[in-house]
Amino acid sequence: MSKKNKFYWFEGVTEKGVKALLSDENPKFRWLRPQRNRRVLVVLMAVGLVLTALGSYRPALKSDFGSSGVALVVYLILAISVIFIVLGGYSLLRISVRSIADAPDELLDERQVVVRNTSYRYAYYAMGYLLLGLLLLMFFGPQLQMFESEGNDGSFLMIASLFAYSSLPSMVMAWRERDI
Amino acid sequence: MDLSVSDNVVLMLCSMYAIYMSRNQEEPVYNRIEEARLAHGLSRQELADKVGVHYQTIGYLERGEYSPSLALSLRLAKLLKQEVSELFSLTPFKKGK
Repeated sequence: MSKKNKFYWFEGVTEKGVKALLSDENPKFRWLRPQRNRRVLVVLMAVGLVLTALGSYRPALKSDFGSSGVALVVYLILAISVIFIVLGGYSLLRISVRSIADAPDELLDERQVVVRNTSYRYAYYAMGYLLLGLLLLMFFGPQLQMFESEGNDGSFLMIASLFAYSSLPSMVMAWRERDI
Repeated sequence: MDLSVSDNVVLMLCSMYAIYMSRNQEEPVYNRIEEARLAHGLSRQELADKVGVHYQTIGYLERGEYSPSLALSLRLAKLLKQEVSELFSLTPFKKGK
Protein backbone atom coordinates (compact mmCIF):
# COMPACT_ATOMS: atom_id res chain seq x y z
CA MET A 1 0.00 0.00 0.00
CA SER A 2 1.45 3.32 -1.02
CA LYS A 3 2.25 5.95 1.57
CA LYS A 4 0.02 9.00 1.68
CA ASN A 5 1.27 11.85 -0.49
CA LYS A 6 2.04 14.77 1.83
CA PHE A 7 1.17 18.21 0.52
CA TYR A 8 3.32 21.12 1.67
CA TRP A 9 0.88 24.04 1.56
CA PHE A 10 3.42 26.71 2.38
CA GLU A 11 5.86 25.62 -0.33
CA GLY A 12 3.22 24.52 -2.84
CA VAL A 13 4.77 21.12 -3.55
CA THR A 14 3.93 17.49 -2.86
CA GLU A 15 6.27 14.92 -1.36
CA LYS A 16 5.85 12.48 -4.25
CA GLY A 17 6.23 15.26 -6.82
CA VAL A 18 9.54 16.45 -5.39
CA LYS A 19 10.85 12.89 -4.92
CA ALA A 20 9.96 12.02 -8.51
CA LEU A 21 11.84 15.06 -9.80
CA LEU A 22 14.84 14.40 -7.56
CA SER A 23 15.17 10.89 -8.94
CA ASP A 24 16.00 10.25 -12.58
CA GLU A 25 13.20 7.73 -13.00
CA ASN A 26 11.19 9.94 -15.33
CA PRO A 27 13.15 10.64 -18.54
CA LYS A 28 10.48 13.00 -19.87
CA PHE A 29 12.19 16.15 -18.61
CA ARG A 30 15.80 15.03 -19.03
CA TRP A 31 16.27 17.61 -21.78
CA LEU A 32 15.88 20.34 -19.17
CA ARG A 33 18.88 19.14 -17.11
CA PRO A 34 21.84 20.53 -19.14
CA GLN A 35 22.87 23.96 -17.85
CA ARG A 36 22.73 25.44 -21.37
CA ASN A 37 19.07 24.44 -21.79
CA ARG A 38 18.25 25.75 -18.32
CA ARG A 39 19.91 29.06 -19.12
CA VAL A 40 17.91 29.34 -22.36
CA LEU A 41 14.76 28.76 -20.31
CA VAL A 42 15.80 31.47 -17.84
CA VAL A 43 16.37 33.97 -20.66
CA LEU A 44 13.00 33.09 -22.25
CA MET A 45 11.28 33.45 -18.87
CA ALA A 46 12.95 36.83 -18.27
CA VAL A 47 11.88 38.02 -21.74
CA GLY A 48 8.36 36.71 -21.07
CA LEU A 49 8.18 38.60 -17.78
CA VAL A 50 9.43 41.83 -19.36
CA LEU A 51 6.91 41.50 -22.21
CA THR A 52 4.14 40.79 -19.70
CA ALA A 53 5.13 43.86 -17.67
CA LEU A 54 5.26 45.99 -20.80
CA GLY A 55 1.61 45.05 -21.39
CA SER A 56 0.79 47.66 -18.78
CA TYR A 57 2.85 50.32 -20.53
CA ARG A 58 1.73 49.68 -24.07
CA PRO A 59 -0.15 52.92 -24.69
CA ALA A 60 -3.87 52.39 -24.71
CA LEU A 61 -3.69 48.60 -25.04
CA LYS A 62 -7.26 48.16 -23.98
CA SER A 63 -8.63 51.00 -26.05
CA ASP A 64 -6.91 49.60 -29.17
CA PHE A 65 -9.49 46.86 -29.11
CA GLY A 66 -12.36 49.28 -28.85
CA SER A 67 -15.16 49.00 -26.36
CA SER A 68 -17.39 46.39 -28.00
CA GLY A 69 -18.12 43.03 -26.39
CA VAL A 70 -16.07 41.16 -29.01
CA ALA A 71 -13.07 43.45 -28.40
CA LEU A 72 -13.28 42.81 -24.69
CA VAL A 73 -13.33 39.05 -25.30
CA VAL A 74 -10.27 39.35 -27.59
CA TYR A 75 -8.48 41.38 -24.92
CA LEU A 76 -9.35 38.85 -22.23
CA ILE A 77 -8.19 35.90 -24.39
CA LEU A 78 -4.91 37.72 -25.06
CA ALA A 79 -4.41 38.48 -21.37
CA ILE A 80 -5.23 34.91 -20.28
CA SER A 81 -2.93 33.49 -23.01
CA VAL A 82 -0.02 35.61 -21.79
CA ILE A 83 -0.63 34.46 -18.23
CA PHE A 84 -0.73 30.79 -19.31
CA ILE A 85 2.46 31.12 -21.38
CA VAL A 86 4.31 32.61 -18.42
CA LEU A 87 2.73 29.99 -16.15
CA GLY A 88 4.00 27.25 -18.50
CA GLY A 89 7.50 28.75 -18.41
CA TYR A 90 7.31 28.94 -14.63
CA SER A 91 6.32 25.25 -14.40
CA LEU A 92 9.15 24.17 -16.72
CA LEU A 93 11.58 26.25 -14.70
CA ARG A 94 10.53 24.53 -11.47
CA ILE A 95 10.92 21.14 -13.13
CA SER A 96 14.34 22.08 -14.55
CA VAL A 97 15.70 22.60 -11.01
CA ARG A 98 13.89 19.50 -9.68
CA SER A 99 11.70 21.73 -7.46
CA ILE A 100 14.71 22.22 -5.17
CA ALA A 101 13.93 25.94 -4.98
CA ASP A 102 10.49 25.19 -3.52
CA ALA A 103 11.09 21.99 -1.59
CA PRO A 104 11.14 21.90 2.23
CA ASP A 105 14.32 20.94 4.11
CA GLU A 106 13.10 17.43 4.94
CA LEU A 107 12.97 16.43 1.26
CA LEU A 108 16.47 17.73 0.45
CA ASP A 109 19.97 16.77 1.48
CA GLU A 110 22.34 19.26 3.10
CA ARG A 111 24.03 20.36 -0.17
CA GLN A 112 20.67 20.94 -1.83
CA VAL A 113 19.56 23.01 1.17
CA VAL A 114 22.72 25.14 0.79
CA VAL A 115 22.09 25.52 -2.96
CA ARG A 116 18.47 26.50 -2.34
CA ASN A 117 19.36 29.01 0.37
CA THR A 118 22.08 30.61 -1.77
CA SER A 119 19.61 30.94 -4.66
CA TYR A 120 17.13 32.67 -2.36
CA ARG A 121 19.82 35.10 -1.21
CA TYR A 122 20.60 36.16 -4.77
CA ALA A 123 16.90 36.19 -5.67
CA TYR A 124 16.27 38.49 -2.70
CA TYR A 125 18.87 40.97 -4.01
CA ALA A 126 17.47 40.72 -7.54
CA MET A 127 13.92 41.29 -6.28
CA GLY A 128 15.16 44.33 -4.35
CA TYR A 129 16.53 45.85 -7.56
CA LEU A 130 13.29 45.02 -9.37
CA LEU A 131 11.29 46.76 -6.65
CA LEU A 132 13.63 49.73 -6.89
CA GLY A 133 12.95 49.83 -10.63
CA LEU A 134 9.20 49.71 -10.00
CA LEU A 135 9.46 52.53 -7.47
CA LEU A 136 11.44 54.63 -9.96
CA LEU A 137 8.74 53.94 -12.55
CA MET A 138 6.11 55.07 -10.08
CA PHE A 139 7.97 58.30 -9.33
CA PHE A 140 9.29 59.21 -12.76
CA GLY A 141 6.81 57.41 -15.05
CA PRO A 142 4.29 60.26 -15.06
CA GLN A 143 7.01 62.83 -15.80
CA LEU A 144 8.30 60.72 -18.67
CA GLN A 145 4.70 60.35 -19.92
CA MET A 146 4.94 56.56 -19.72
CA PHE A 147 1.49 56.29 -18.24
CA GLU A 148 -1.59 56.63 -20.37
CA SER A 149 -4.87 57.64 -18.88
CA GLU A 150 -6.58 54.85 -20.81
CA GLY A 151 -5.55 51.28 -21.36
CA ASN A 152 -3.19 51.06 -18.41
CA ASP A 153 -4.40 49.73 -15.11
CA GLY A 154 -1.07 48.18 -14.12
CA SER A 155 -2.55 44.67 -14.07
CA PHE A 156 0.11 43.18 -16.40
CA LEU A 157 2.86 44.77 -14.33
CA MET A 158 1.37 43.27 -11.17
CA ILE A 159 1.10 39.80 -12.77
CA ALA A 160 4.71 40.02 -14.02
CA SER A 161 5.91 41.10 -10.57
CA LEU A 162 4.13 38.19 -8.90
CA PHE A 163 5.62 35.70 -11.36
CA ALA A 164 9.07 37.28 -10.95
CA TYR A 165 8.74 37.00 -7.18
CA SER A 166 7.76 33.31 -7.45
CA SER A 167 10.23 32.24 -10.12
CA LEU A 168 13.39 34.21 -9.26
CA PRO A 169 14.88 31.57 -6.91
CA SER A 170 14.38 28.88 -9.57
CA MET A 171 15.78 31.21 -12.25
CA VAL A 172 18.90 31.92 -10.16
CA MET A 173 19.37 28.23 -9.44
CA ALA A 174 18.81 27.18 -13.06
CA TRP A 175 21.38 29.76 -14.17
CA ARG A 176 24.08 29.13 -11.55
CA GLU A 177 24.14 25.39 -10.92
CA ARG A 178 26.24 23.22 -13.22
CA ASP A 179 24.58 19.92 -12.21
CA ILE A 180 21.10 19.78 -10.85
CA MET B 1 47.44 60.95 -12.22
CA ASP B 2 44.24 61.85 -14.00
CA LEU B 3 41.81 59.06 -14.63
CA SER B 4 38.99 59.21 -17.14
CA VAL B 5 35.41 58.31 -16.25
CA SER B 6 35.72 54.94 -18.03
CA ASP B 7 38.94 54.17 -16.07
CA ASN B 8 37.12 54.91 -12.83
CA VAL B 9 34.22 52.66 -13.83
CA VAL B 10 36.65 49.81 -14.71
CA LEU B 11 38.49 50.30 -11.40
CA MET B 12 35.22 50.26 -9.47
CA LEU B 13 34.06 47.07 -11.23
CA CYS B 14 37.45 45.39 -10.61
CA SER B 15 37.27 46.32 -6.92
CA MET B 16 33.72 44.98 -6.64
CA TYR B 17 34.81 41.74 -8.33
CA ALA B 18 37.82 41.41 -5.99
CA ILE B 19 35.57 41.92 -2.94
CA TYR B 20 33.06 39.41 -4.32
CA MET B 21 35.77 36.79 -4.96
CA SER B 22 37.42 37.32 -1.58
CA ARG B 23 34.09 36.81 0.16
CA ASN B 24 33.40 33.56 -1.67
CA GLN B 25 36.72 31.82 -1.27
CA GLU B 26 36.51 28.84 1.04
CA GLU B 27 39.39 26.85 2.41
CA PRO B 28 39.50 23.66 0.33
CA VAL B 29 38.86 20.34 2.07
CA TYR B 30 40.55 17.39 0.40
CA ASN B 31 39.07 13.91 0.65
CA ARG B 32 39.53 10.30 -0.33
CA ILE B 33 35.85 9.43 -0.65
CA GLU B 34 36.11 8.15 -4.22
CA GLU B 35 39.09 5.93 -3.39
CA ALA B 36 37.34 4.49 -0.33
CA ARG B 37 34.04 4.07 -2.17
CA LEU B 38 35.69 2.15 -5.00
CA ALA B 39 37.56 0.01 -2.47
CA HIS B 40 34.17 -1.01 -1.05
CA GLY B 41 32.79 -1.64 -4.55
CA LEU B 42 30.04 0.93 -4.19
CA SER B 43 28.52 3.10 -6.89
CA ARG B 44 27.77 6.77 -6.18
CA GLN B 45 24.06 5.95 -6.04
CA GLU B 46 24.61 3.13 -3.54
CA LEU B 47 26.79 5.27 -1.29
CA ALA B 48 24.30 8.13 -1.57
CA ASP B 49 21.41 5.86 -0.55
CA LYS B 50 23.36 4.53 2.43
CA VAL B 51 24.28 7.96 3.81
CA GLY B 52 20.97 9.60 2.86
CA VAL B 53 21.99 12.16 0.25
CA HIS B 54 21.38 12.69 -3.46
CA TYR B 55 23.82 10.86 -5.75
CA GLN B 56 24.97 14.20 -7.24
CA THR B 57 26.07 15.28 -3.77
CA ILE B 58 28.52 12.36 -3.69
CA GLY B 59 29.95 13.66 -6.98
CA TYR B 60 30.28 17.16 -5.55
CA LEU B 61 31.99 15.75 -2.43
CA GLU B 62 34.42 13.62 -4.42
CA ARG B 63 35.40 16.55 -6.62
CA GLY B 64 35.94 18.69 -3.52
CA GLU B 65 33.27 21.15 -4.67
CA TYR B 66 31.26 20.78 -1.50
CA SER B 67 32.50 20.42 2.07
CA PRO B 68 30.19 18.16 4.10
CA SER B 69 28.80 18.86 7.54
CA LEU B 70 30.33 17.09 10.51
CA ALA B 71 27.34 14.74 10.71
CA LEU B 72 27.67 13.71 7.05
CA SER B 73 31.46 13.34 7.42
CA LEU B 74 30.93 11.00 10.36
CA ARG B 75 28.30 8.97 8.48
CA LEU B 76 30.63 8.65 5.48
CA ALA B 77 33.60 7.67 7.65
CA LYS B 78 31.55 5.06 9.51
CA LEU B 79 30.17 3.56 6.32
CA LEU B 80 33.55 3.51 4.58
CA LYS B 81 35.18 2.11 7.76
CA GLN B 82 37.71 4.90 8.12
CA GLU B 83 38.49 7.66 10.58
CA VAL B 84 37.29 11.13 9.60
CA SER B 85 40.93 12.28 9.60
CA GLU B 86 41.79 9.51 7.13
CA LEU B 87 38.99 10.54 4.82
CA PHE B 88 39.28 14.35 4.98
CA SER B 89 42.23 16.72 5.19
CA LEU B 90 43.00 20.40 4.87
CA THR B 91 46.17 19.49 2.94
CA PRO B 92 46.29 17.41 -0.25
CA PHE B 93 46.68 13.66 0.26
CA LYS B 94 49.91 12.11 -0.97
CA LYS B 95 49.40 9.72 -3.87
CA GLY B 96 49.21 6.06 -2.90
CA LYS B 97 48.93 6.79 0.86
